[in-house]
Amino acid sequence: MDIFAALGNVITDPVLMLWVLAAAIVGMVAGAIPGLTASAAIAMLLPLTFYMEPLSALAFLYVIGKSGRYGGSISAILFNTPGTAASAATQIDGYPLAQRGMASKAMKVATISSVIGDYTGDILLIFGVGLIAAVALRLGPPELFAIYFAAFVVIGSVIGKSITRGLASAVLGVLVNMIGLDPISAEARFTFGSFDLTNGVSLVPLMIGIFVLGEVFSQIEARHSPVEIVDTSRDHDARARNRLSWAEYRPCMPHVIRSSLIGSFIGVLPGLGSSIAAFVAYGEGKRRARNPEEWGHGALEGIAAPESANNAVSGPSMAPLLTLGIPGSTIGAILMGVFLIHGIQIGPTLLITSRELIFSLFACGLIGIAMYGTIGYFGAAWVGRFIIRIPTNVLYPVIFLTSFIAAFASRGNLFDVLVMVLAGFGGWLMKKFDFNPAAFVISFVLAGGAEETFRQSLLLSHNGLLIFVTRPVALAFLIIGVAALVLRARTLGRQAKEAALNDA
Amino acid sequence: MDRRTFVKLTAAGTALTALSPSMAFAQWEPRRPINLIVPYGAGGGTDSFARALAASAESALPVPMVVVNRPGSSGITGATEAAGARPDGTTFMMTSGGSFLLTYLLRDTDVNPFDSFQTVAQIGDLTTSLMVPMNSPYQTIDDLVADALARPGELRWNHTGRGSFHHIAGQGFANEAGIEAVDVPFDGGGATRAAVIGGQVDFGMIGIQQAAGFESELRVLALVSNMRDPIAVDVPTFAEQGYDVPLISSPITVFAPNGTDAEIITGMEAALQQITSQPEFAAAMLELGNTPGYLNAADARARLEAMRDAAAPIVAALEE
Repeated sequence: MDIFAALGNVITDPVLMLWVLAAAIVGMVAGAIPGLTASAAIAMLLPLTFYMEPLSALAFLYVIGKSGRYGGSISAILFNTPGTAASAATQIDGYPLAQRGMASKAMKVATISSVIGDYTGDILLIFGVGLIAAVALRLGPPELFAIYFAAFVVIGSVIGKSITRGLASAVLGVLVNMIGLDPISAEARFTFGSFDLTNGVSLVPLMIGIFVLGEVFSQIEARHSPVEIVDTSRDHDARARNRLSWAEYRPCMPHVIRSSLIGSFIGVLPGLGSSIAAFVAYGEGKRRARNPEEWGHGALEGIAAPESANNAVSGPSMAPLLTLGIPGSTIGAILMGVFLIHGIQIGPTLLITSRELIFSLFACGLIGIAMYGTIGYFGAAWVGRFIIRIPTNVLYPVIFLTSFIAAFASRGNLFDVLVMVLAGFGGWLMKKFDFNPAAFVISFVLAGGAEETFRQSLLLSHNGLLIFVTRPVALAFLIIGVAALVLRARTLGRQAKEAALNDA
Repeated sequence: MDRRTFVKLTAAGTALTALSPSMAFAQWEPRRPINLIVPYGAGGGTDSFARALAASAESALPVPMVVVNRPGSSGITGATEAAGARPDGTTFMMTSGGSFLLTYLLRDTDVNPFDSFQTVAQIGDLTTSLMVPMNSPYQTIDDLVADALARPGELRWNHTGRGSFHHIAGQGFANEAGIEAVDVPFDGGGATRAAVIGGQVDFGMIGIQQAAGFESELRVLALVSNMRDPIAVDVPTFAEQGYDVPLISSPITVFAPNGTDAEIITGMEAALQQITSQPEFAAAMLELGNTPGYLNAADARARLEAMRDAAAPIVAALEE
């Protein structure tokens, strides 16, 4: 068993353990700061990892992803402001509990559920990655394109409030990705003769712009509505109220198990992410709950379900990245860059060339979960108080400046800073006008691979487009994509009717 | 004393120079750190060579050698910066000479290896090879060529991207053998190799070092070189099998901006020769699946000129 050997190696490496611990804390704090997501923190800390050992670098960023997903629940429960999009589902039941003086109990439920969800996802990843990799070697460009196609369809169907604006955001992401050298003929396109654009727009400055600078702009706008923390007093009564017993947690267990599986499944699909997993799990949990009337008014199950799904995404979302080279999420896309920087070739041959490293990375993930779980269980309220004590007129300027440094440092290129600033304004405007910045970024991430595999398929084919139909695996994924589209169109039609009826 | 004699003397005096490093530089005494611009990202193939070089430079240079990554535009961003740097011996560029040359031939760039730079030395050479999946019916190049001639336009082959030296070398082989086959570009060596292993294509042109560790998945049929690879010694060259494939490879070359003093160039050339002859540099190269391949300034430039003459007709034919 590779994973046990890896665990042994990792635990006996103090430097590596320190990085994992640092990641657990950094991720938790970044996730808890309203506006900063785990992927934003990873994009900003990326340049730091160029100077680290490959395993430390990957483990550091991977664990930030995990604890950042968890950290969002801290601000959702304590400040009634979701730290990440995914924790908006936690907020529904978390904040009512906090108002009743049971913030610590809510945090404990969130912590335990996140940890269980994260372990479920990671264990499925560890046992599944070998199987997927073995199959992955037989998948060629047509099959990969069919997977990309299915991903795009699924993204398109969960795109947010306005379908047209969501789709427009996704199309914009695809168009921006096309800037630079054509992946097949290596001809320049959409570069307007600009020398800097021939290599295209890099992901890291783009993401820092959209997710960090854009958020800072939004926070400047919202400056006059101060964030308030609920009372976390520690008198005798409060302690008694916030004690969590197994009898109280037991009803959450079925929800945690179901949500962990939902989260893992959604995680393995490229393009979806934590927030969708959290909301699907919340909806599904409420539908099946014995006490649906309590959901929304401070049900512990209503915290357990989205939190476990949110964190279960983390592990399985690595599977398409590691085995197929398809970045399933924005975090995956950044990690892909880190693998490249350290000369590790991801894809189906990864388990042949870097088996030890990959299992060590998984082991770091398992340890990281235990670390953020322990810190969170005993210290989440303290982390909340720490964040609230930093004045926003210090915090956001610091984040603002850091985003410039991070954008420059990722490649030492001033043009990237310009890209970051433009993306920052773009991201802010997109949010303001209800476009979907997340759909923009994930389409940007997936578009390159989709185009490349599509055109490779056509070159490989002896009969043009028929190659997608004559290869069974490719056909299967295309059918899944189309079926998802049809299904979604139907439910949308029904929802539209219901909405219309309600209005009337 | 002319440059060649100087180099020979220096080579003979390696033992002596180990005792007094500064002896290697007759007049050139670098005082400030040397910036070695690598026009590719940190961690890539070319960057690993630069890191190996910088790590072994300590005993041969009195100042540190700092690797500066300036990626972008297929290596042209960094090359433009290096060409415009002050020629005072503090800035050099190390790049994949093959990629630089081919980018220049294909895209008619403002900077080029011959007019914008002075060649300092070559420190290694990357070679490409023709690989087939293990279960392929082709045991030799002759099998492949016979099948390709029987089914013109039917075969599919891949490489690491149009304009890469793997692509041009593969096209050179196709032209020489008179076969027609469709090329499918992939992104980088890893993806290209995985597609060959998975049988997506009939053959692929991939760096010989990529075959290490994949002996049970891949069969290397021929190497594009005039001699066998020092590590994969069992792989025959194209020439051995009767095919006169143009020698397109990717020499790792160090350049200096135009206008750099002759004594700086000679000093750096000598230092590079000393570095590349050290066992720790050889060990670092071995880890990258390669071996040091030192050529002095004149030979390194001649090598690039020969490659230009070999590649130009292939590139011209592609652009028709």
